[in-house]
Order: sequence, then structure tokens, then C-alpha cells
Amino acid sequence: MTRAPLAWSMRIGLCILGAYVALALISLVWTPYDPLSPGVGDSFLPPSVEFPLGTDRLGSDVLSRLMAGTQYNLGIALVAVILALVIGSALGVVAGYYGGATDIAISRSVEIFQAFPGVLFAMLVVKAVGPGVLNIILVLSFIGIPDYARLARAEVQSRRNWPYAEAARMVGNRSWQVAFRHLLPNSMGPLLAFTSINAAFVSLVTASLGFLGLGLNPNTPEWGNMIARGQDGVMTGEWWVSFFPGLAILGMTGAFYLLGDALADLADPRRRR
Amino acid sequence: MRAEPYVVLRTSGLTKLYPVGGSRRLVALSGVDIDLAEGETLALVGESGSGKSTFARCALRLVEPSDGDVLINGRSIRSLGALGLAELYGEVQMVFQDPNASLNPRMTVRQVVHEPLRLHLRMPFAKREKRAIELMEMVGLTPAHLDRYPHELSGGQRQRVGIARALAAEPNIVILDEPTASLDVSVRGQMLELLKRLQAELKLAYLFISHDLQVVRHMADRVAVMYLGGIVESGRTEDVFARPLHPYTRALLSAAPVARWGVKRQRLRLAGEIPSPIDPPDACRLVGRCPMQQPACTTRRPPLIDAGGGHAVACPVVLA
Amino acid sequence: MSSPLLEIEGLSGSFRSPNGALTPVLHDVSFAVPRGTVTAIVGETGSGKSLTALSILGIQPPTFQRSAGRILFDGRDLLTLKPEEMRGIRGRRISIVFQDARAALNPVFTVGRQLADVHRLHHGGSASRAMKRTIEALRAVSIPEPERRARQYPHEFSGGMAQRAMIALAALVCEPELLILDEPTTGLDVTIQAAIMELIGDLVRERGLTACLITHDLGVVAETCDRVVVMNAGRVVETGTTEAIFTRPRQDYTRRLLAASQLGETPEMIEA
Repeated sequence: MTRAPLAWSMRIGLCILGAYVALALISLVWTPYDPLSPGVGDSFLPPSVEFPLGTDRLGSDVLSRLMAGTQYNLGIALVAVILALVIGSALGVVAGYYGGATDIAISRSVEIFQAFPGVLFAMLVVKAVGPGVLNIILVLSFIGIPDYARLARAEVQSRRNWPYAEAARMVGNRSWQVAFRHLLPNSMGPLLAFTSINAAFVSLVTASLGFLGLGLNPNTPEWGNMIARGQDGVMTGEWWVSFFPGLAILGMTGAFYLLGDALADLADPRRRR
Repeated sequence: MRAEPYVVLRTSGLTKLYPVGGSRRLVALSGVDIDLAEGETLALVGESGSGKSTFARCALRLVEPSDGDVLINGRSIRSLGALGLAELYGEVQMVFQDPNASLNPRMTVRQVVHEPLRLHLRMPFAKREKRAIELMEMVGLTPAHLDRYPHELSGGQRQRVGIARALAAEPNIVILDEPTASLDVSVRGQMLELLKRLQAELKLAYLFISHDLQVVRHMADRVAVMYLGGIVESGRTEDVFARPLHPYTRALLSAAPVARWGVKRQRLRLAGEIPSPIDPPDACRLVGRCPMQQPACTTRRPPLIDAGGGHAVACPVVLA
Repeated sequence: MSSPLLEIEGLSGSFRSPNGALTPVLHDVSFAVPRGTVTAIVGETGSGKSLTALSILGIQPPTFQRSAGRILFDGRDLLTLKPEEMRGIRGRRISIVFQDARAALNPVFTVGRQLADVHRLHHGGSASRAMKRTIEALRAVSIPEPERRARQYPHEFSGGMAQRAMIALAALVCEPELLILDEPTTGLDVTIQAAIMELIGDLVRERGLTACLITHDLGVVAETCDRVVVMNAGRVVETGTTEAIFTRPRQDYTRRLLAASQLGETPEMIEA
């Protein structure tokens, strides 16, 4: 069985994302210089053969830090999105399938939460509980949960009285099995398509928190941190310190957007040929 | 002494009301009684809005009835919990109208057919696979079809998969909800023959829901005609078709299209269209449409009256 | 004997898939629709009957590519007309009734307004005159209380009533020479279906219309149609008068289709 050829936008998205994954994996075993140690070169050296992306104020190698940062930015985005997808869809499926008081309880909680601006919420929580990779992941996934829950609820609700849901009950499935084994897989298209938008959003917020100094330890080579460290240089001509991490964020966000429907396609046998 | 046939499915006073705002109620089903005997085919005939599909779903508690009881193989299903219902569906199964909508698009035929074997009969994989191949052959498909997705099958093949799924659990009652309504006529005949053959081989009782009188005549031992949530006439198929009593049955039969040249029939016309099922008055449901209407028809709803030989009709006027 | 109102000659074509592959769907389709008759095009799923009908109006799906053939309407080849010339014919000289009437009506306007708008578009005149004609048309298709019904929205119409309104629009408001009916009674209850078919027969006879009925149901054909075109898998299998098709079918496919439609019923069973 072969799949229909993917659109060019999706191929480009997949290639860029693949490059980031490769970069993250390589950085686990090798970087040109130690990304954490300052003074591997003079401060504010422009891009050269020795330091391809230059050095920052503390004389750290920007390329090494950028590579190591991929672990954080990509890792946080992926884990936060998967967590939000799993928890949000589960809540949505339960609300959509069982309806009644369960639905009202879940839907109202979700709506109340959505009335908060997500980024502001993330800043407040991180400020309160302190920085750290785990905290950031939890907060960012929490922001995504309502969207997944609402999407999953709408999808499941529109399908719960379909004949194949009735048929699933008739062949001996319990109601939770009908909801999660039959209805949820058929609702995955829009959910997976949304993960790309959500992942792009999460990457941006991760970097924003880092830039505002609310994210990880300032010495961590997270891209937002790196931009913050280089922001003085933008005015005085040392553009490379902030520019390359910025470009990395742009590339990753863009790649997630480009992926879009490709993810939904992967889950649907009808789109295979 | 003649032994009474064993009744496998009996409903008494099955009623379904839907609240529609305020104290108003939509009467989808009002006090329907039927008996389905072992190995027979009982057809429920009616047009849209007659309640025949609601009846099937209430009889299986896919939709909760508002009142009345259902006995399946002698056991009341009224108070069954979730586990009991799951068990019940091993005894009574359903073939759905639109095989396209009733097959999960993400499941292969193998997964579809294995599911009831796994859940109802708790068979291990190897036994399931063997049985699945038998089922495929039983419904006129091949083992190669097990690897297909529903969208890779024709409408007729999909309906065969639907039948295989229903039979996998080894029920003795099968509810057929318009099983040929979405099929081409050339496929329809094959499907009906398949259903007849399976009934004879497996001693199945069929509750056959249809709007197609031709198909009903071809399939059913007995017929119950439904109109606006209630049965207006019932009896043996040949009696009802040869000697329809209720004005609605007559109108229905005389309106059925016939694929034959030169058939000129006396058409009995009903005035207007089916009235609203919301808060209907206690009167014959055909009031206002019926050419034989009497003043007494508007004062109460006539019950089914025996017209002899198991033929019953809810119209005192035609019997007078 | 005048020439037929519509003649389709050698119409062939294919569907083009996104990757450019061509799937032939119509093969040398030829038939004629004589003036003043009801001609049925009968076929099962995939027979090409609807595609042929839509091609007459030039509203076939964009993925359909014609490779050969002519569609002669009153002696002119419709396929050679410019889009603006085609617009002058579509809805004025040829109109169509679709299967799902309620989907064909715009849900945000009253039924009367939609019919009156079409009337003014085709015949001009004042709004009140158009509405008056609309109400007459609704009355002519036996819609009870046409004044009140004209003020209602499509969702307030039952399927049967909506189909009557569509027939009023296509046959009476547009006043076409050729009326195409694409499965007009599919999905309707048999009692409603019988009444709609009677209405169509009456309109054609009283107003001298020519009609082309697309259907999968031979039962509908027997009582209403004068001529039958049997199609299968994109080809015309057989054409003839209704009597000839039903009583002396020449082709094996027609015979099988008839047998399947009759489901083993004997004439005595039907007369009873």
C-alpha cells in the first residue's frame, strides 16, 4: 500500500524538522566547543572559519550553544504537545461521549481556563513555582489542553450516534471502549492537524519565557536565553549573537506550521492509495 | 395439541417520547407490541417518521425506551446493566442500513470481524482467524477481503461484511435495518438471497425493517405496518398484501412503484402529508388524511382488532 | 415528424485524477429525447446517467474531460456555445430538478422570494407580479395554502413539499422547453413519490414540456415515461419505448435489471 505524495509544503516541513532532530542528537555526543564554558574564544568574535556563528559576550561558541539548545527547544515542544494532546483529547472524548453533567463539568472548566491569556498564565506560574525544564513543560502543555479538549469533544459528539458507534456497542464493546477505541481514532485528523499549530506556539512561548528570564537558568543554551544574552549586541553591531537563535526559532516554528495536514494524513487509511 | 412457537423477541407497550421544550413531547413510538418467533421473519414496514428505526433501537436499548418492556429469549432487558447489555448483544445482532456509515473507516475487515469474536466469544487469535475465514466464505467473500479497508470495497461487499460481523457473535435474532436500501437493485437480489440462505442454515429469527414493500413481500413471513409510531395492521405477509385492510396500508400498497408494463392500479390517495408527532391528539393517527373517516375516529385511538387468522387492524371502520 | 428536442451523439469522456491519470466514464453515449415526451435514463451506480444529464447543462464536475461527442439542443450543439450563450439557455430553455430539493434551496431566504427572484430574472416585471406568479406556480403543484407557504423558509418544508416547490421553480417559473429531473423522488416516501411522479406526468402533458428523467428505479419509469434509455458502466445498453423495454427487452443487461427490479413478483401478485 502506498501513500499519496505529500504536498511540497509538508515535505519541506518534514525536512526542516528532521534537520533539527539530527542536530539535537549530534549535540548529545559532539559540539565544536563546550557550549557551557565561557571564554573558548574572545567575546563578540564575528562569524569566522574557527567560530562559524561567532562568539557571544562571554566568549562562548554560538554554534555549539545553538546545537545544544535544540535539545531544549525541540524537546520541550514535543513533550509538551504530546502531553497536551493525550490529556486534552481524553477529557474531550469523555465530555463528548458521556455528555450530561460530565460534559458540563469538563466544558465549563475548560472555558474558564481559556478566558486567561495563555502566555500571561505561563509567566505567572513559572514565576511562582520557579524555572526548570519540567515546570515549563507542564505549564505549556496545560495551556494547550483546553484546545485539544474542545476539538476532541466536538468530533466525538458529532460521531457518537453514528451507526459505527452503535455497531461497536453491538459487537460487545463497553462504552469507554466505543469512545476511545472507535470514536477517538476517527477524530484524530483535526487533533493531529492542530498539534502542528500548537507545537509552533509552544516553541515561541518557550523562547519568550527564556528571553524574559523566566525560563531556564540563564546560562542554559536555550534559544530564548541566547537571544536575551545577545540583545545588547544588536544595537552595537554584534548581530550574530541574537540573530542565529532567532533564525532557529523561526525555522522550527515554520516547520511545525508547514507540517499541518501531513500529520492528519498519516492517521487516515482513506487518504492512502 | 399444537405447540406454540417459541417467541425469541417480544415487546410490550414499547414507547419512546422525546421532550421538545416545555411540556411538549414528540411521540416517536407509542405502545408497540410485537412477537418474533424462532426462525421466522417479521417485517416492520413504514415510511419515514413511522418509528420503525426507533423501535429497533429501543428494542436493543441502543436508545433508552421511555416505557414498556422487551423480552429477548425470555429474559427482560429492561433492568440490564452495561455488562448485561454487552452480553445480550451476543444473542441479538443488527445489520445496519448504510454499510458505509456502520463500518469504522479505520478498521480493516479483519479487525471488524475479529472484534465480536474477541469480545463476545473470547476466542484466541488463531481461532478467531479461522472463524473469520469461515465467516467470509459464509457471506460470499474471500479471505483476501480480510485485509481490505471499507473504502476499498463495493457497497454490496461492505454490506456482506456487516452481515459477517453480525453473525460472528452467533446470535439467534438479527435485526435487519433497511439492509438493502442503499444498494443497487442488481445487488439487492443477491443480498436478499444470502440473508434467506443464512436464515435457513443458522435458524435465525429476522426482524426486517424496511420501507420497500417489494422486498418485504419477498422476505417476510409476517408483516407489521407502522404509521406515526404505532402499528396499524399486522398479519401474515400473503394476507396483508392480498387483502390490505387499513386505509394506510392500502394507500401504501397502491403507491408502490411496479417495474412492469401496463399495470394500472386503483390508487388510494391520502390527503396531505404525515402530521406532526408532537403531542398528538387521542384519535386515529390517520384523521384528516383518510378517505374513510368517520366521526368516531376523532374521539379515541383505535386499538388493533383481530380480523381473523392472525390478521389484525387498528381500524374499526373497515371491519364494520 | 419534427426533429428531437435533444440529441446526444457519441458523447465520450473521462475523469482526470489529481495525478493526471484518465479514467474513462462515458463511452459513445448517444440517444434522443423527442419533443413532448418523458424520456427516462435508467442505470445503477456508476452508469454515467447523472454525468450525462449534467453535461447537457454544462454543469458536469470540473474533473470530467470530454473527448468526443455533440449535444444538440433544438439543432444547436450546446458544447460549442460560449459561456454567456449557455447562460441564456440554462434555466431559461433547459432547467433541472435535483434529488435533494431542500439542499438546492437557499436556507436564508423564503421559498417564495427565491422563486420570485428567478421569475424576475427570466421574465422581468415588478416584484409583486413575480410573487403573484410564484404563488400561482406553487398552487399548480398542489402545495396547500400557497400564500402562507411562500413566506416560509426551506427548513419549514418537508422533503416532498420542497420537491414540489423545486418542480414549480424548474417547470413553471422558468418555463423551459426541456426539464431535466435528476432522481427527483429518491429518498422520498413511496406515497409522496407516487404523487410527485403524477405531478410530473401531468405538467408535461398539460404544458407540452419535454422531460428527461434520470433514475435508478425502473418502477418509477413504467407508469410515467414514454421512452427509456438504459445505461450501464458509461454506455447506452438499449433504448426504446417503455413498452418495448419492459415487454421485449433485447439486451441481457436490461433483462437482468428488470428481473432484479421485479424480485420474482408475478403479474398476478401485483394485480391482487
